[in-house]
Amino acid sequence: MSIEIKRIVIVGGGSAGWLTAGILAAEHKTSSPRGLQITLVESPDVNPIGVGEGTWPSMRDSLRDMGIAETDFIRECDASFKQGSRFVAWVTGAQDDSYYHPFALPLGYGEVDLVSRWQSVQSGKSFAEAVSYQPALCEQGKAPKQKTTPEWAAVANYAYHLDAGKFGVFLQKFCTSRLGVVHVLDHVRGIQSADNGDIVALQTESHGKIEGDLFIDCTGFSSILLGGHFGIPFISRKDSLFCDTALALQVPYPDAGSPIASNTISTAQEAGWIWDIGLPTRRGVGHVYSSAHTTDEQAEIALSNYVQAGNKTGGAGATPRKISINPGHRETFWHRNCVAVGISAGFIEPLEASALALIEMSAAMIRDEMPATREIMDVVARRFNARFRYRWDRTIEFLKLHYVLSKRVDSDFWLDHRRPETMPERLQELMLLWRYRSPSRRDFYEIEEIFPAASYQYVLYGMGFKPQNFASNRPDDTGPAREYIAENLRMTGKFLAGLPSNRELIDHAVQHGLPGI
Amino acid sequence: MARIELLNNVDHKDLRVITTRSARYGDNVWFTPTFAHEFRNLQRNYPIVFTKNPNTGKFQAVALLGFENGENLFLSEDGWDAGYIPLSIMRQPFMIGFQEVKEVGVPKTQLVISVDVESPRISETEGEPVFLPHGGSTEYLERVNSILNLVHQGFERNQALIDMLLGMDLLESFALDVELNDGSEHRMSGFYTINEDSLRKLSGDNLVILNNNGYLEAVYMAIASLSNIATLVDKKNKLLGL
Repeated sequence: MSIEIKRIVIVGGGSAGWLTAGILAAEHKTSSPRGLQITLVESPDVNPIGVGEGTWPSMRDSLRDMGIAETDFIRECDASFKQGSRFVAWVTGAQDDSYYHPFALPLGYGEVDLVSRWQSVQSGKSFAEAVSYQPALCEQGKAPKQKTTPEWAAVANYAYHLDAGKFGVFLQKFCTSRLGVVHVLDHVRGIQSADNGDIVALQTESHGKIEGDLFIDCTGFSSILLGGHFGIPFISRKDSLFCDTALALQVPYPDAGSPIASNTISTAQEAGWIWDIGLPTRRGVGHVYSSAHTTDEQAEIALSNYVQAGNKTGGAGATPRKISINPGHRETFWHRNCVAVGISAGFIEPLEASALALIEMSAAMIRDEMPATREIMDVVARRFNARFRYRWDRTIEFLKLHYVLSKRVDSDFWLDHRRPETMPERLQELMLLWRYRSPSRRDFYEIEEIFPAASYQYVLYGMGFKPQNFASNRPDDTGPAREYIAENLRMTGKFLAGLPSNRELIDHAVQHGLPGI
Repeated sequence: MARIELLNNVDHKDLRVITTRSARYGDNVWFTPTFAHEFRNLQRNYPIVFTKNPNTGKFQAVALLGFENGENLFLSEDGWDAGYIPLSIMRQPFMIGFQEVKEVGVPKTQLVISVDVESPRISETEGEPVFLPHGGSTEYLERVNSILNLVHQGFERNQALIDMLLGMDLLESFALDVELNDGSEHRMSGFYTINEDSLRKLSGDNLVILNNNGYLEAVYMAIASLSNIATLVDKKNKLLGL
């Protein structure tokens, strides 16, 4: 007789724990007596990582599906709108070296070959600017929608920058008060196992035994259940992505009316890169670097120089927080009746803000494939492991692409990144293909690829990749592409004229709210 | 550009206002704001819909006069083709102003009439005089005064109606597809109307609340007014000679 899965126990709070709780509880009617029971246990002494402030557009759906009002989220999580990322100094390090990876897909993507058309025209415009209005919006610090646009809706596809600490607290409040999630603040002192190795219950210090049918490990670097208890090995991916340390800072604005950047800024450094995320009340800035290629002192100086250069009030002087990263992931993520979500599953440098997105995807798959019985769980676990191993591999390949395309020679860090033995084989193969044609949907196998072919196009051509022998199969068939590019120019002008600034819209949302319809 | 002045019988003793309805005087607008207590008078001729103020994102009720910016289908060489003209049009070029006064030493805000002296309606030679030769108000000014009071009270109370409609899920967006006699199509979006499904499913408690505030009538007047959209289409066809 197979046991019905009725009780979910999530171990660990923070963004991973509470996002997972919310995504599962909303769908599985945890607030009603016949729904799935969800209990989240977290230690009062363990703090969440406290960084992780960039999201993807999927976050809009995740929060909306939970029943959250966008106005509340913006107000309580100090959130601002993010329209993509701008990469500065990644190719040559020169003054004008920057390109955008926006969220909006190119106009006409999937229907016509925009790349051939853009290259044959040689307009002097970058690829992203030619095929998308979003880089122009970002350059002008525009918001992705208007004061009249309903909550969650977009004029230009967008995600958020948010305060990681406030996000966890906000979700906790919502999950416990509106979604029926039970919150236990206590220490886990032991794990009770069944004969077959399944976890039966957690022993807590003051709340006795907490039993469950499925245990979700959101304990971060400690990976108490998956890594600690089950001993699932950790696979290092440092051979491809070298960065293993981060120094994080918060930087104030000169005044309350300062513009809020419409995108994440990632500025390449000698042995890493610096993230710059603009929230309404302050910026989050951090230097991600490889300890094998530089020292902590040099990294701190680089971070301080960056902050000084951009901050007219000279508000530097705060001591950054150091976080050690072990780039890589677990060999499997779902073992027996335990699945890891968040840092407990893996961690890499936040170059494309993939961490929160992977949490959403993990929670979504658990939600959608929630096994009805313990027997079925083994099938779901195998599927989960295959899918997420695939996604980790693709993420590492995509991040590696940013390094492989660089032409910087100013340090071993950059030179080492271009050594073939550090490149995943599948990426090398794709780059060979892309010498003769542009990235297309057919290059990737899954229906829900973590990075669509469009993202590869934005990075490839943003970084100046020049194909070898670019012959379009139908050389005079560029009419439709030409029209899309012309249409993009028109839309760019229209949107620039009609959209408020990012700061203006956020201030309005905080003061007056965004309309529900 | 508008120049607002507090109306007084010294600076404005010779002021006249041209009351002819015409595009020349700025009447060519495609919608004009309205408020719940005016719905009853409006619903005979005008579709009453809701739209968002682009600067505040807040909802407002409007009487629809045309299908595109600058088009008022009620306006022609012969004037305004309807018995009742929305008060937010009629009050022009006057508006309510606020003046700080001291009553028995206590500061108080007083409502006063202000006028836009740059309005094309302002004249020294044509139109309705505002003040009598010896400084008193003309009958015209008295009428303007009562219109302004109605408008002021109406708009003050209107936000409560909007909030109630939103709270009870009684507003929904709709796209208006206009098809003219020559087959040409035109889609208008950004407008909202009463969600009749929600209205039908309203709880007894909510119905009582709406009714007690006088808003139930407004809701049904708004629904009834939508039949005027067909009338607007007729006017447009006629205007285009179709």
